[in-house]
Amino acid sequence: MNQPTSEPILRTEGLTKRFGGLTAVDDLSFSVTGSRLHAIIGPNGAGKTTFFNLISGLLQPTDGRVFFLGEDITGAKPHQISRLGIKRTLQIKSVFPKLTVAENLWITKRAGHGFLDPFRPARADRETTSAVERTLEQVGLSALADRQAGTLSYGDVALLEIGMAAIAQPRLLLLDEPTCGMSPAETARAVDKILELARSIDIIIIEHDMDVVFEIADDITVMAQGAILAQGSPAQIAADERVREAYLGREEDEDYVEEAAHA
Amino acid sequence: MSPASIRLILWVLVTAFMLAVPWLVPALLNAFWVSVIAEILIWSLFAASVNLLYGYTGLLSFGQALYFGFGMYGVAIGIQDLHLSFWPALSLGIVAAMAMALVTGVFAVRLTWHYFAIITVVFSLIFYFLALSNKWLTGGDDGINFSLPPTFRIGGFTRSLTDATFQYEFILATVALCFWLMHRLIESPLGKALVAIRDNDVRASLIGLNVYLLRLIAFVLAGFLAGVSGALFAFFGRYASASYMFYHVSGEAVVWTIVGGAGTLLGPVVGTTLFIIVREVVSTHWEHHSLIVGAVAILVVIFAPKGVVGLWNDWMARLSERGSTPASAAELRVGP
Repeated sequence: MNQPTSEPILRTEGLTKRFGGLTAVDDLSFSVTGSRLHAIIGPNGAGKTTFFNLISGLLQPTDGRVFFLGEDITGAKPHQISRLGIKRTLQIKSVFPKLTVAENLWITKRAGHGFLDPFRPARADRETTSAVERTLEQVGLSALADRQAGTLSYGDVALLEIGMAAIAQPRLLLLDEPTCGMSPAETARAVDKILELARSIDIIIIEHDMDVVFEIADDITVMAQGAILAQGSPAQIAADERVREAYLGREEDEDYVEEAAHA
Repeated sequence: MSPASIRLILWVLVTAFMLAVPWLVPALLNAFWVSVIAEILIWSLFAASVNLLYGYTGLLSFGQALYFGFGMYGVAIGIQDLHLSFWPALSLGIVAAMAMALVTGVFAVRLTWHYFAIITVVFSLIFYFLALSNKWLTGGDDGINFSLPPTFRIGGFTRSLTDATFQYEFILATVALCFWLMHRLIESPLGKALVAIRDNDVRASLIGLNVYLLRLIAFVLAGFLAGVSGALFAFFGRYASASYMFYHVSGEAVVWTIVGGAGTLLGPVVGTTLFIIVREVVSTHWEHHSLIVGAVAILVVIFAPKGVVGLWNDWMARLSERGSTPASAAELRVGP
């Protein structure tokens, strides 16, 4: 378990991203303290993925700042942010398709630190190799270790992505719709793995599946049109009038939300 | 026969043949083919530089002839103008090629795909025309001719590339060494990082790889391979010429690599061997031999996108699968 610290693990100040006339993220001030599994929900186009892109350095903000453990990381490159301990997954499953499952994990573990020695065979690195074996077992892909990642089923790719997130031992993990497109069985498996990870890593998750969100999240942030609409515990969010109106407000969803909140 | 033993037998046969070339080939064909094989080795190494970038890093360069040319001119200018002996001239060629790759790479690897291909062509064209126009330094189209310094001189004992057998051995040893180094690189952590970037550069940056720096390193290492091959070719022909910096030369290496199998260590060797043999055999009878090159390239890209070596590897994989299927079927029958 992480020790709760006074310093929020992630904090943004007035974070703004404009694409021409469109303001995707609008003056967002956000803060997450450690040891919580934090979910971000919101309708399509709310700016959730753009927000992740700004944190992980794939996009540069138009305005505002990002702090990670109190350190200003605004404007840093993706690999620098990654090396500081923020890892993320992408909304569209994204692994190294021509590498084997084991190689995907191997390079993910090895990329984050140290010198990429061109004079020694990769397999001689026993420390990384044994970490790969442990992770393969954890996510249940040992049998597929030597398969090319591009030939895996959708659900197995998702497990590999979770494995890649885990093996890097990040301080903060950003998951962008990890269960998107999964069957119920695959979703259940992925949720188990995420909860397992959340015991040692702080996680922010973007998720559309409300069952998943209300099952796993400690805190929920609702985004709409690039701004924060509401923030609170699952019960508070489910009861929030503005959220109901803006996002969950359709008649047929109301029972469902209450049900989920009391679950 | 299992794929492993097929590979072993092939490996032994090819190695034995390559070592025996200076004696075997003149006996079976004629001495001319020894220098054709030496030339194949040199151009294979040049194609390997395209392969390191395209096959292993995902950057399609159409400008590798620039670094080949710098390797050539480093040797020729080193010997003719600076009066260097063999090894310093060789080193000058390699260092010049790598330095040029570093300077151009700083700009080129900011780009990918067609933009990268275009900028590499542009750089090589700029220096091609500079080399043509600065006749005082490069000899332009006529090039620079030089006489070979001895490779080894220990007391009274001298060895020089003027000895055809020694020349072949020297080229074989140098090219083999470079391919061994490339093999080591591909199997190393750095090599795995390059392949990861080739596969998915956004993901690579998110796991903490410095994509720009790693691409630049690959570009300079490819400059090393092209530089060594250019330096060898200068020694082999005893001259350097701006015409070898033309983008046509770069383009041929791309075709050889793709036909042979990009992303496989020996693909460039297979592609280069195929095309140079076709050229040597056909060009004496028919001037339009490049039509064959074009046709073969198109057929391979359509029907064997992984190249000749890729096709071979698929066959071997199928062979080993076929070998294991009856065993697993037997295991199934053992069940209840």
